[in-house]
Amino acid sequence: MTETAKQKEAFFSGAARLAIPSLLLGVLAVFPLAGPGPNAIRLLFVSLMWVSCSVGWNILGGFAGQISFGFAVFYGLGSYAAAISLNAGIPRPLALLIAATVAAFASVLVGIPTLRLRGPYFAIATIGVSEAVRVVMTNLQFTGGASGYRITERGAFNQHLHYYVALILAAIAVGLSVLVRRSKFGLALLSIREDEDAAADLGVNPFLCKLEAHALGAALTGAAGGVYAGYSDFIHPPGVFGFDISVAILLMPTIGGIGTIWGPVIGAVVYGLIHEELIASFPEFHLLLYGLLLILIILFEPGGVEGLFEKLIRFARTRSGSGSHSEA
Amino acid sequence: MAPILKLDRLCKNFAGLAALKDVSFEIEPGGITGLIGPNGAGKTTLLSVVAGSIPASSGAILFQGRDITHLRAHGAVHAGIARTHQVPKPFRTLSVLENVEVGLRFGSRQRARNEETESLKILEWVGIAHLYLMRASALSAGDLKRLELARVLAARPSLLLCDEVCSGLTEFETSAILHLLADIRRAGTTILYVEHNLRAIMAVCDRVIVMNYGQKLTEGTPEAVQNDPAVIEAYIGKPSVA
Repeated sequence: MTETAKQKEAFFSGAARLAIPSLLLGVLAVFPLAGPGPNAIRLLFVSLMWVSCSVGWNILGGFAGQISFGFAVFYGLGSYAAAISLNAGIPRPLALLIAATVAAFASVLVGIPTLRLRGPYFAIATIGVSEAVRVVMTNLQFTGGASGYRITERGAFNQHLHYYVALILAAIAVGLSVLVRRSKFGLALLSIREDEDAAADLGVNPFLCKLEAHALGAALTGAAGGVYAGYSDFIHPPGVFGFDISVAILLMPTIGGIGTIWGPVIGAVVYGLIHEELIASFPEFHLLLYGLLLILIILFEPGGVEGLFEKLIRFARTRSGSGSHSEA
Repeated sequence: MAPILKLDRLCKNFAGLAALKDVSFEIEPGGITGLIGPNGAGKTTLLSVVAGSIPASSGAILFQGRDITHLRAHGAVHAGIARTHQVPKPFRTLSVLENVEVGLRFGSRQRARNEETESLKILEWVGIAHLYLMRASALSAGDLKRLELARVLAARPSLLLCDEVCSGLTEFETSAILHLLADIRRAGTTILYVEHNLRAIMAVCDRVIVMNYGQKLTEGTPEAVQNDPAVIEAYIGKPSVA
């Protein structure tokens, strides 16, 4: 990674860049042992699950600039794949791997036609695909159709186990995101985001790179869907293939800071923590509130929470710099 | 000497409009060939077709003896052809160094030993090494032209397609860019140079090809082309008879 990219992550610079995530991971690892209530663990579990989706979407939407409204397809397929695997007695880690693989495979099938489209055409196509898959799943008898699919938990329900599975997946997702951002592949995605034709004129294969980013994002989202299926005892098409899921997955990186490493994580935690409260308080209006939030962010702080944080740090540094200058 | 590039009856149609009509010519390796013509003559379209940015409707493109007619842009770069754009297309939120690294890391199958050092060397060559940390969006028009050249040079092409690299530049900047093109040629890269600035073309080109209405009008040395009545007519029109 070059200096500019390093500078962009200035507030996590130097030793802090490694220390803060490690500390955060440590705190999250010991959190269930500190004896919080099951509701607190559940809220954090949900947030961690969203982290994987949000970070996965950001690889395609944030790094490569391909705005997809269809990630519910991969979340839903991952949920169903894991649910069927778990009911067949397949161990949980393998079930999650199957969920990720099914989602990645589906992303290639979806991506081959749709990723040839650009900008709003791609976004509209993903909405169409997402709705088509939801309708198919609603009518597919093999998976219970509209009635949904029940998952048989083998053994006693262990909330801590589910929490740790979600934590490990979120850590893997963030690790992968860091690796992608610093890699040759990441540079290709950024160049595609900036100008797809110019990237191709320098030797980047835009279609292949977008397809790979799509598959990686889908795999993480599918695995997160698998984590959700493992936690629930029942899944149904509106719950995992719904358009609100796609919007939520897109909204989280937007809240935190699209195209950054930590923005999607921050956005997922914020969303995970306030989502249920919003549904409870404004059952009719919560989607409207998300729409309003999206408009406000795009209008006033497109960099999201991370962008705002960076601005504040820059402002504080400028102030302290000018202060020391005047003292001298 | 075998030509580095050979176009054989190349055509490009946009719906009903024939932008290129049976264009055939050859380019010898190691020189600078100018491609001139009035507005709408098809010069940029020709560069885009050769670079794989848009597909040819018919005809053939042979590069170093290999048929590359159906290669896409990234494939043409890997084959050894890179192009600049009339309006520079920088990756605006990336640094100058990262912009060059894209060309270096993807443009050639050969892997550079130290990508950052190699990129800095190229930036030094084009004269903007001191700006390497700056975002591309902050560069001036002249520096953007240099960055555009640096990025394609990083791809280590055998044939460089330059599209009006001097347009919009001051006389001083134009002179610097022309020196740079001469340097690039000395380093062994063949150049096909599209330009409106005829003085620039005459200053650096060994041969000039003239296009008009999507067809090749003539070709020859800069002096011969300059005095060709057909070329004069294409640029300033037929003298009216009173």
